[in-house]
Amino acid sequence: MSGIQHSGHEHTHSHDHNHHHSQDHTHHHHRIGHSHDTGNSSIDYYAVYSGIRHWDPRFKVGFSVLLLLFTLIGNHPVVSVIAAVTAAILTVGFGKLHPHQYISVLTIPLAFIIVGSLAVGIEFAREPLGDWNLFLHFGYMFVTKESLMKMLALMIKVFGAVSAMFIMTLSTPSFELFSVIKRMHCPTMLVELMHMIYRFIFILMNVQRNMRISAESRMGFCDFKTSLYTFGQIASNLFIVSLKKANAFYDAMEARCYDGEFLFLEEETKVSRKLVIAAAVYFTLLLAVTILVRVKF
Amino acid sequence: MSKKERRVFSTLLLLVGIFGVTANASAMHIMEGYLPPTYCVAWGVLCIPFLVLGFRTLNKQVKESRKSMTMIAMAGAFIFVISSLKIPSVTGSCSHMTGTGLGAILFGPAAVSVLGIIVLLFQAILLAHGGLSSLGANTFSMAIAGPIVSWLIYKGLKKAGVNKKVTIFLAAAIGDLFTYCVTSVQLAMAYPSAQGGFAASLAKFLGIFATTQIPLAIIEGILTVIVIIALESFAQRELKLIHFAD
Repeated sequence: MSGIQHSGHEHTHSHDHNHHHSQDHTHHHHRIGHSHDTGNSSIDYYAVYSGIRHWDPRFKVGFSVLLLLFTLIGNHPVVSVIAAVTAAILTVGFGKLHPHQYISVLTIPLAFIIVGSLAVGIEFAREPLGDWNLFLHFGYMFVTKESLMKMLALMIKVFGAVSAMFIMTLSTPSFELFSVIKRMHCPTMLVELMHMIYRFIFILMNVQRNMRISAESRMGFCDFKTSLYTFGQIASNLFIVSLKKANAFYDAMEARCYDGEFLFLEEETKVSRKLVIAAAVYFTLLLAVTILVRVKF
Repeated sequence: MSKKERRVFSTLLLLVGIFGVTANASAMHIMEGYLPPTYCVAWGVLCIPFLVLGFRTLNKQVKESRKSMTMIAMAGAFIFVISSLKIPSVTGSCSHMTGTGLGAILFGPAAVSVLGIIVLLFQAILLAHGGLSSLGANTFSMAIAGPIVSWLIYKGLKKAGVNKKVTIFLAAAIGDLFTYCVTSVQLAMAYPSAQGGFAASLAKFLGIFATTQIPLAIIEGILTVIVIIALESFAQRELKLIHFAD
């Protein structure tokens, strides 16, 4: 079944735990956001080691998406806060992700939630308006109490929504997500394209890293002028070198009888009845809370 | 490309590099939870016909020559990498290049819509960049509207006999700019300004975006030219597979 192995792939798409151990321990001790190179590979790393990794991926995807829907349709700060707390409990409590790591993952979108929501809160006009305004040479920048409240509510909502998705992201490795998509009867060609694009992202990143390192070792970034030249060289060669590698990858697969469908060894998981009942109770309560806060306030 | 040209290109590219590194925080197209549910659904539905058409185009291409998958998938990976290099902008979205102009020129806009939605899905679930709920809106702006404009400009100018490099540059750069205009419209529709309504809000979002997006569009144009020149010099065989005629 697991016919295709990508040599040198950081994320061999199989459930070979030892393999993940040996590779990831050497490469991925960095935290998320540490650099562009390891950004999403560390998320995969956390997902593989998650304490709730063995939960059925369909369950985790369903749970996350349902929670997301609640925060969006419920559209109330209380619901969003509950979603964020649930995500923290599941990821840190059950998933055993270190709280520091969880916080560092959350700070990535957090910075943008704050900056992004400001745009909704702040308005511009030609005349001085609002509860507080600031004169800029082309007009006034102002806020009102309502716009501030709207901004705050939006921040909390987005935070809840992002947290809900992190339950899935931090506990389900990408290849399991693809298999969920496949089981949802997504056409084979698309799933195959997903696997390939995912693999090629790492080819592009690795080629770029290697080029940068080899340029550095040849004093390619010794001064500003040289840096510019080096950067241009890398940019013009990156795509073409990566494409050659991608072709080699394809030939290697064809030599192993690839005929248009990736087949991976998958563990058979059953959705545990306990979990489903717990989730059902949870969402019933959440529904009750949602209705309550929507009616009361 | 002469040495001098290359130097000018490199300067611009380095600028992007610097921005990309200093703005290391991972961000978004339109973020998860940012759009009200009705907008999420409406934009999603609007994407469906394009996606169906794109799926058919790709299927036909792959049936004809399975090997062209590598080129298609590489264009997808390119979109991912390019659109993950981002500069924070003071809006619910954030500025970055789109990378979709290249795909539109190589495979046509329909195929890019499929590549785009896959990439956006990856970014949403792996990087919390964009989101599942805003997937439809982001797909429409980055993977449908922008590429269609790129493709129209490319075809039009090519027919008019304009210099090839200029054609590719304009196609990619204007496609990128159009993407950001559509995103601004999407945000303004969802969050009209209390005083000035839709128009004031649109002006606000466009204005905030413009500062970072115009230089980025220029850089994206140049990058696309570089990549296509490189492909034409070193990857003739692959280009033949996808019928990329001169």
